[in-house]
Amino acid sequence: MTKALIVKGLTKSYGNIRAVDCLDLEVNKGEIFGLLGHNGAGKTTSIECILGVKKVDVGTVELLGMNPTADRKKLFESVGVQFQQTSYHEKVRVSEICEVTKSLYKAPADWRKLLKSFGLSGMEKRTVSELSGGERQRLSVLLALIPNPQFVFLDELTTGLDSKARRDVWKYIESLKTDGLTVLLTSHYMDEVETLCDRICILKKGQVVVMGTVKELVAKSPYDNLDEAYLWYSGEEEAANESI
Amino acid sequence: MKAFNAIFKNEFKLSLRDMNIPIFGIVQPIIVAIIIGLTGGSKPAFEGAGYSFIDQSFGALTAICICATGLMGMPLLLSDYRHRKILKRYMVTPVSPALLLFVQVLVNLIMSIISLISIYIICSVCWGYSMDGNVGLFLLSYLFVTLSIYSIGMMLASLAPNMKTASLLCTLIYFPMLFFSGATIPYEIMPKAARAAMDILPLTQGVKLLKATSLGLPAENAVIPIIILALVSVVCVILSIKFFRWE
Repeated sequence: MTKALIVKGLTKSYGNIRAVDCLDLEVNKGEIFGLLGHNGAGKTTSIECILGVKKVDVGTVELLGMNPTADRKKLFESVGVQFQQTSYHEKVRVSEICEVTKSLYKAPADWRKLLKSFGLSGMEKRTVSELSGGERQRLSVLLALIPNPQFVFLDELTTGLDSKARRDVWKYIESLKTDGLTVLLTSHYMDEVETLCDRICILKKGQVVVMGTVKELVAKSPYDNLDEAYLWYSGEEEAANESI
Repeated sequence: MKAFNAIFKNEFKLSLRDMNIPIFGIVQPIIVAIIIGLTGGSKPAFEGAGYSFIDQSFGALTAICICATGLMGMPLLLSDYRHRKILKRYMVTPVSPALLLFVQVLVNLIMSIISLISIYIICSVCWGYSMDGNVGLFLLSYLFVTLSIYSIGMMLASLAPNMKTASLLCTLIYFPMLFFSGATIPYEIMPKAARAAMDILPLTQGVKLLKATSLGLPAENAVIPIIILALVSVVCVILSIKFFRWE
């Protein structure tokens, strides 16, 4: 199987704190890969280093066969990104931000159709500041799909969404997967991970604890469901018990 | 080209929606023009002068918008875009940073030109202003002054680590340049010692150049301002590119 992403020995520190420690990772083409871990485990830093937004201290990244820093312009024709915290000009309208985003790509998707799929049709004239948190979140995911990407990065894709909206987003991502889209996502919701991810990787203090399919990971743990297995792997089990 | 058109259209609309640039860049210089016109107007600039007070002030008035857009509007907008992670979002698209910066320069330049035209109309209708100097040369020097003041703004945007520092730097540079460059308070009415201090400000040199070309003064009046502004532009452009950050 061909690789869409190859990360070797990625290391990144902020001062004395090692946010990502020698991360090795491979994502196959057409796969949905989940990067899990509690807050501060290094998920976002990993993604930002992979994308070239943050400079890596050590290590190499090959995304769709390209170097994210040197081949930035070419690479991001085919890569969509939804950052965890995205903010917009307060007074920009939904239609305007979609039009601008569309203009950046050679073969963009039809954003009006995307608005429909994400339950945002009729909101074209609203300014971003008038959208609810959930609507803004859906807009962020939608904008990541405008490039008609081969690879999309979704950092906490459904945070703040209600269950109906979450299911709609899942369905849409799955439909794109059948068209060959590769996805790297982060999430704190295990039901989401179980539904979407082919393989997952759990990070703890910037290091890989375990990697494999959901089934494999659950089987290797003393538990029979991903929720508990995840807490066990990420070392939050004790913390969870204590708080009870 | 498609990206440029879309981003330009959007940024231009947003700058009108924001109203900061139209107020400080267009309305403010119009008000100053009216005050200057009402105080001196069509009287001779000084005893025996071949030109009127408004003739003398025209070049200075046109510099107000350059100052407002270049030293407040543009750097604050860019650091706001960085603060809000708007630039970071652009970083993971194929767009080049040069295009984004160029769009901002163009939007602000257009605002300055609108301001220039409005001032011209007001001065000519109310106080019979007409340009003694060569219009082409004046426009050329206007463009030159604009770009060199904008390069200072770009440098501020690149150097300021956050929004707070950016506003502080802009305030520290904008207000002295606005009041002590001769753009609002005429250079000629300042005491001699103050003028020497004012000469340090790049915009003072810009105002001198604009006055020289609008009044059609001999070329030697323009040499020093041109050299100083060119140096400022080169240094600021280099620094702003070197220190440009998406995030």
